[in-house]
Amino acid sequence: MSNSMAGSKWMRVLNITLIVSLSLMIILPFMHVLAISLNSGIDAQRGGITFWPREWSIENYIEVFKQENLMNGLFISVFRTVVGTVVGVGLMAMAAYALTIKTLPGRKFITFFVFFTMLFSGGTVPYYLVLNELNLTNTIWVYIVPTLYSVIHILLLRTSFSQLPFSVIEAARIDGCSEFKIFRSIVLPMSKPVLATISLFTAVGHWNDWYAGTFFVRDPMLKPLATLLQEMLTRQAALSDILLRSSGSLAYEQLDKVTVTGESLQMATIIVVMIPMVLVYPFIQKYFVKGITVGSIKE
Amino acid sequence: MENLVVHNGVLKSKEELELHYQPVKDSFWTQIKKHHVFYIMLFPCLLFFLIFSYWPMGGLVLAFKEYGFQTGIFGGDWVGLQYFQQFFSDPRSTIYINNTIIVSFLKLFIAMPFPIILALMFNEVQNNKLRGTFQSISYLPYFISWVVVVGLMNRLLAPDTGLINQMIAAFGGDGSTFFMMEEGLFYPLVFISYIWKGIGWDSIIYYAAIVAIAPALYEAAAIDGAGKLRQIWHVTLPGIAATIIILFILSLGDILSSGFDQIYLMQNPGNADVSETIDTYIVRTGLQGGQFGYATAIGLMQGVAGLILTIIVNRITSKKFGSSLW
Repeated sequence: MSNSMAGSKWMRVLNITLIVSLSLMIILPFMHVLAISLNSGIDAQRGGITFWPREWSIENYIEVFKQENLMNGLFISVFRTVVGTVVGVGLMAMAAYALTIKTLPGRKFITFFVFFTMLFSGGTVPYYLVLNELNLTNTIWVYIVPTLYSVIHILLLRTSFSQLPFSVIEAARIDGCSEFKIFRSIVLPMSKPVLATISLFTAVGHWNDWYAGTFFVRDPMLKPLATLLQEMLTRQAALSDILLRSSGSLAYEQLDKVTVTGESLQMATIIVVMIPMVLVYPFIQKYFVKGITVGSIKE
Repeated sequence: MENLVVHNGVLKSKEELELHYQPVKDSFWTQIKKHHVFYIMLFPCLLFFLIFSYWPMGGLVLAFKEYGFQTGIFGGDWVGLQYFQQFFSDPRSTIYINNTIIVSFLKLFIAMPFPIILALMFNEVQNNKLRGTFQSISYLPYFISWVVVVGLMNRLLAPDTGLINQMIAAFGGDGSTFFMMEEGLFYPLVFISYIWKGIGWDSIIYYAAIVAIAPALYEAAAIDGAGKLRQIWHVTLPGIAATIIILFILSLGDILSSGFDQIYLMQNPGNADVSETIDTYIVRTGLQGGQFGYATAIGLMQGVAGLILTIIVNRITSKKFGSSLW
């Protein structure tokens, strides 16, 4: 693995410098947002806050937790993430395990039936109309039911399951274990890394999804946190536009007055949206690198 | 190499399985009965794709039909190719197609070398712990929603109070540019934020390919007197060329989709002329405008073009590189 020649020193220095710069470019924007969110809103209006709060305050967070719709959105997000991930990964693992059984009649056809949906789809509008006809739109189930299965995750799970030591499974079968028992007490416990990876991907997908909340749901009490954040952004853009039109030129001072305190709230919301990710990430990231490089679509 | 192991493992397991199930003696129906438990495991999966993928595919007939709330997806009157004519007779359609191709060109072609370069750079970091830390940091934005990323951009690039404008002002500049509203900055910002979000994650697969190169090749090159850069050029790059080519060709199937989230969220009245792509136009006319048939027709063209591209590309990869999607 180590292929280091006595590569010239300045190249190594340049290399590290570039990598450190990239890391800073990733971390500093978050630091900036964190600093604003932890700064008093009125003081933040003066500008000049970089990466450290000037007037420490947790008022923005208190405000976030006071907003009924944001708290409700947090609940919706947590609900769909937990339920969607547990049920979804369980069902996908079951299907993937069945697809590793080589003697299963129709296995090739079923695999293609699933795989083809990755190549072609009905598109946005027919999909929406189907959700509508199923009466899923404007219910909390529109977040969970249509996202239960993901083709790429099924294929990753299948590849991983097919690499399990077959002798163990076969021994259990000969001992008279039912297939469901084999699945639950042999296949799943032996596949923790891939299950952790797929769970992470699924959970992140749920947590980050704003699209369903924006286009499939009207009831404001059913909107997840990501959708509420997206609505904040849209309102802000609309507001800037109104000011631009009414004053002929951009009336920045006016714009700042209207939006900046809302701005601090928005920054606190961004941090609240990111916190679960940042907490879970270090524990799970050791798995996912292996998870995505191992999986190939073909067997 | 890994495939071979998998392949062997599979072959072995198949033999053992066939021994257990004795498939030669069983009739087709006996086979199915013996496997009934696996069909139970697969049933919800098949039902899911039937409902949420194949039913909407059937719904594509809407591209040729009038949609009514009473008549539903399949009940309306046929309108022939009316929606397609409507799309192609609208001069703005050309603009939307152009915008889409510009965005996907930026993402597929111009952005492609960046993760490769980053993987090469990671490979040169000798300290494992340090490299691991940098890699972890670089993956992080991949897990952050576009909503948050665009929120960050709005803040950093805001007029007067934004970080960038304050830096410009500190150096004596104007400091009141509304960067997100500037039409000319839309594509550069799309490009930069796309790289920022994906570079670390996309580098994983290249990094894995680099690590798999046999160290003996580097040693041989070193004995021949090749320096670091020449080693990268003559050993590392040829070693990962297959990975690069396959990933690139596979991504061509996406050329007609610009990535909905990023573009939609970055749209504002200031950049409306350059930021409307096919994906966002479909949502705007269909989901928001209620022109279901018209939006379905555009989606159908996009879907068919994507499918054809993927099939062609898969032909090429399987012939030239012996690797294919199916």
